[in-house]
Amino acid sequence: MASVTHILGIESSCDDTAAAVLRIHDGRASVLSSVVEGQSGLHAAFGGVVPEIAARAHAEKIDLCVEEALAQADLPLSQIDAIAVTAGPGLIGGVLSGVMCAKGLAAATGKPLIGVNHLAGHALTPRLTDGLAYPYLMLLVSGGHCQLLIVQSHDRFTRLGGTIDDAPGEAFDKTARLLGLPQPGGPSVEAEAKAGDPKRFTFPRPLMDRPGCDMSFSGLKTAVLRARDQIVAEKAGLTTQDRADLCAGFQAAVTDVLRGKTARALEQYLAVNPEAPAIAVAGGVAANRSIRAGLETIASDYGVAFTAPPLRLCTDNAAMIAYAGWERWQAAQVDDMTLAARPRWPLDNRAPALVGSGKKGAKS
Amino acid sequence: MPSDPIVLGFDTSAAHCAAALLSGTGIVAARHEEMGRGQAERLMTLLEETLSEAGVAWSNLDAIGVGTGPGNFTGIRISVSAARGLALGLGIPAVGVDLFDAAAWGAPGPALICHTAPRGTAYLRSCGMVRDIGPVQMAIDTIPADWAEAGLSCIGSAGAEVAAHLGVSHVPVAHAPAVAVARIAATRWQVPQPRPAPLYLRPADAAPPRDAPPVILDDA
Repeated sequence: MASVTHILGIESSCDDTAAAVLRIHDGRASVLSSVVEGQSGLHAAFGGVVPEIAARAHAEKIDLCVEEALAQADLPLSQIDAIAVTAGPGLIGGVLSGVMCAKGLAAATGKPLIGVNHLAGHALTPRLTDGLAYPYLMLLVSGGHCQLLIVQSHDRFTRLGGTIDDAPGEAFDKTARLLGLPQPGGPSVEAEAKAGDPKRFTFPRPLMDRPGCDMSFSGLKTAVLRARDQIVAEKAGLTTQDRADLCAGFQAAVTDVLRGKTARALEQYLAVNPEAPAIAVAGGVAANRSIRAGLETIASDYGVAFTAPPLRLCTDNAAMIAYAGWERWQAAQVDDMTLAARPRWPLDNRAPALVGSGKKGAKS
Repeated sequence: MPSDPIVLGFDTSAAHCAAALLSGTGIVAARHEEMGRGQAERLMTLLEETLSEAGVAWSNLDAIGVGTGPGNFTGIRISVSAARGLALGLGIPAVGVDLFDAAAWGAPGPALICHTAPRGTAYLRSCGMVRDIGPVQMAIDTIPADWAEAGLSCIGSAGAEVAAHLGVSHVPVAHAPAVAVARIAATRWQVPQPRPAPLYLRPADAAPPRDAPPVILDDA
């Protein structure tokens, strides 16, 4: 392998169409370009990502994103050494568009095709941004996912626990919808919560009374709905203060659950005696300041380094796919033209399936 | 003298995976496999087999032709995305060919192109008819009887059924879909084309949330 390598990454597993070019020089990775075309405007009216709408947008945008990523990196396609693409888990229509575009590019250029697990992309991002050494603890919290993992190598993960129903990002979106706040719900609920009293409403901390690291967020959303309906029944509407208090109470509950379960995961992680103990977060929910602050506190309580990649690499992007693809390529793990797109693809095959994980869209 | 242009056409818009390679005016290799699922895993190897049967390399291609539907949404996107990736990678044009044009290719006279669609409906478009119809998706039993005109034939996967409904003749398609796609793409690729895009004829199934947001009292 030459000392300078360029990897093209492609990502289309949810509602962002993304392409990126990664340059690896003497083993050090840098992001030359990372193009992310969001679709939130297309889904806004529906209060959530509509799979068919997402699939339609990906199919007509993916090659344009690749062109843009190459242009921003100022590289012709001929300078790309390998093509990495998200092959799952995710909304299958979108994943298929990415995989087929990548196959077309790989067939045309004769470059290796590398199918990447989207969750591995997130989980390996702290290596791209901070050069974290294995093993580290990863909390992946996004609109579609929520898991606590020990990352042992680029393809060895131990899942300590995860959500058995909704992902936290989903809960934020649903809460926003219940309260008439704009989508995506994460930023709008967080902004609203600033003016709220987190103690006025006591929302449940689901599964905190059970051992282990599994979490549940769907009951929390129902609790918000009940509290809202009770206020509406009393005064035929919500005041902005009511709304702020509901948001603050909801956010406090999510923060508590993530903090509490992360503390348990840290104990299990520290039991394997890592040389340089570190915890990293990834996923869009990691952008929430209250959640992030809660996790930082826990990390420092346990004397473990805390890392959160910059937001643009925390949310869905293709640079992480290119990076994870490079790690796979280093291990000679390449795919052929029969590479399949997979709606589900757990990182840890040995861990029991999360209860209820078969019922919804982009779960693992 | 330039050599004959070489065009690779393919289609996965229905329960098949199909490819045809056109060199000049002759089809030099073709594949058509009936397939309910698995087109995404099969398509590229099928294309490679088609090329190698004719001793043609990817780099020899002058253009790509791809079926854009209407048909199975996922199937159409599989081929359209692959075509866009190939076109970008090879630096050659990809030409989208809809399946109305494909079925009408070589049609004898006025024709109503009819492709099977879900739940007793068909995708319809006129070709050389007095009346300008579609493209549209409609229930076969609601197709107006006065669409029948002298010499009309119905062509396509739903052709027999629509022909029976209208009391006109049914004519089988002249070419397999991938062959027609390749032949039509060969007539268009030298003129700048929009990038291939699926032809859906139906909006995505999605409904806005039913629950109205709560009234915010301070705003009133």
